[in-house]
Amino acid sequence: MPSVIEKPAAQSSGDPCREAAELIASYGHAMDDGEIDLWPQFFTSNGIYHITTRENHEAGLPIGIMRCVGRGMMIDRVKAFHTANIFEPHTYNHIVGYPTMSYDKASGCVTARSNFQVVRIMETGRMELYATGKYLDVIQQEGGSLKFRERVVVMDSRNVDILLVVPL
Amino acid sequence: MQATPHPSTHAAGKPALDFTWPVEGIARAPYRLFTDPEIYRLEQERIFRGRCWNYLCLDVEIPKAGDYRTTVIGETPVIVTRDHDGKIHAMVNRCAHKGALVCLKKQDNVASLTCVYHAWNYELDGKLKGVAFRNGVRGQGGMPSDFDVAKHRLQPIRIENFCGIIFGTFSEEVEGVESYLGPDMAQFIKRNLDRPLRVLGTHSQTIHNNWKLYAENLRDSYHATLLHTFYTTFKVNRLDMDGGIILSDEKWHHLSFARRAKMEEAAEYSEAKVHSASYDSALEGPGLLEAWEEFDDGITHSIQTVFPNMCIQFTLNSLAIRFFAPKGVDKTELFWIYLGYDRDTEQQSQMRIMQSNLTGAAGLVSLEDGCINEFVQRGTRNDPQCSSFMEMGGRVAESEKNSRATEAAVRGFWQGYRGIMGF
Ligand code: FES
Ligand SMILES: [Fe+2]
Repeated sequence: MPSVIEKPAAQSSGDPCREAAELIASYGHAMDDGEIDLWPQFFTSNGIYHITTRENHEAGLPIGIMRCVGRGMMIDRVKAFHTANIFEPHTYNHIVGYPTMSYDKASGCVTARSNFQVVRIMETGRMELYATGKYLDVIQQEGGSLKFRERVVVMDSRNVDILLVVPL
Repeated sequence: MQATPHPSTHAAGKPALDFTWPVEGIARAPYRLFTDPEIYRLEQERIFRGRCWNYLCLDVEIPKAGDYRTTVIGETPVIVTRDHDGKIHAMVNRCAHKGALVCLKKQDNVASLTCVYHAWNYELDGKLKGVAFRNGVRGQGGMPSDFDVAKHRLQPIRIENFCGIIFGTFSEEVEGVESYLGPDMAQFIKRNLDRPLRVLGTHSQTIHNNWKLYAENLRDSYHATLLHTFYTTFKVNRLDMDGGIILSDEKWHHLSFARRAKMEEAAEYSEAKVHSASYDSALEGPGLLEAWEEFDDGITHSIQTVFPNMCIQFTLNSLAIRFFAPKGVDKTELFWIYLGYDRDTEQQSQMRIMQSNLTGAAGLVSLEDGCINEFVQRGTRNDPQCSSFMEMGGRVAESEKNSRATEAAVRGFWQGYRGIMGF
């Protein structure tokens, strides 16, 4: 069984927004490099990860496409990816725009929004635009590094091509 | 019992295609069925425009006067509206003038329906109200004097509301929805849906296969624990006794269920009925499977299909409608509509929300179904003359109340399909 490697704490630059932007960028890079085992470590221990569609999000509907509450559920997703779920091998390439951010001193949280496009590459060589949307993040310190306390992935389209097994 | 039932008389008199079903009957499905554009075209006519009730939408999706929703019957675009008296109507989404789509959004609220092309305006029931420039402009042009608005309208579709599901049909002959479903199927839909519903979320999935491969897949109880290994990987002790399969009289609808052992319920969990189904597992986040016993019949998992392209799932407490719309011979859009009841407590809603992780495009238990039918499509498309082999549990389509290791419901689908297609 694959183990989840603890991600080393990032060097603190003292600028919470800059660090938050780096967290957002390194998340995309980790997913694109196939480091799915690192994925839960991008979140606080009780962090929330939620993929939904714009239609659900705007209507305030609670069910989207994937919802993890707490790192345990994310670890289960990773384990299912490795040992239970069956799918054609593929990788992603994330293009993430520079986020707009605001820092709340009292709570120590950075609230960020960034746009993304994800290209999916199949082993057959087929490449296609798989998802576009926005990340709505709440980022805070835990254990000496910045993590997502909440990451809501709002897909523009209602439609997922084939299936979704690697987090966006 | 005959292994090869004769096609029923549904399609009597319809010219047969140059196509013969293998002599082994419903235990075989020729691969040509999944790739032939001519068969696909005939399905649009004989099934989706034929003696079938088609899922359109839910009553709760158009609650207010003036609400509309667009959908499809087969590939035909359809509008469902609620008029000012609260009555529901359905019609083909095709302007009576030159055939443009009249409604473009998935849903909206409007006073009347107006085609954008030349502004023909329709009542919410589809009757033509007015035509732009009917009397011309400054005395010039206009419709001929014998033009009669009453002679033009959006093509109406017969509908019925059964347990909050709006079904529609092009057929005047097909019996009412309840007899179309038959007593067993109708009773189980009432169990699941006959109370005020709440939509908790929706999404769709494009699957790259013929719609019938997904129709088969839903009825294929044989694959459940073989392809989908989430429960076994995480050692989820479901305490479910093996369930069974019930087929409707024509065999084309089915219900597959797993029942929970009775003693568990009585001894340990009788009290609050909340968390009573908490499943032992190796999950790091066991909150995913927090569940409660919702019904007294002990059925914890069910999948029910309604021919041609609808399914109702109740996976623990996760209630959803799946509707799969053909988009060409090798493409299907699968819609997921997650539901709860109006009466649900906050805690119950939360359990339904977390359990939605089990199904859907990213479903832990079932995401494989997004690709497995495509694997069949790709594996078979160059061999239309070959056939699948489906003899698990026998060669006929009969209910099997004690085992789900059977392909009986898949054979049932083909039995109904052959009847209505005249194959
Ligand atoms: S096509 Fe609709 S008004 Fe002309
Ligand atoms: Fe399946």
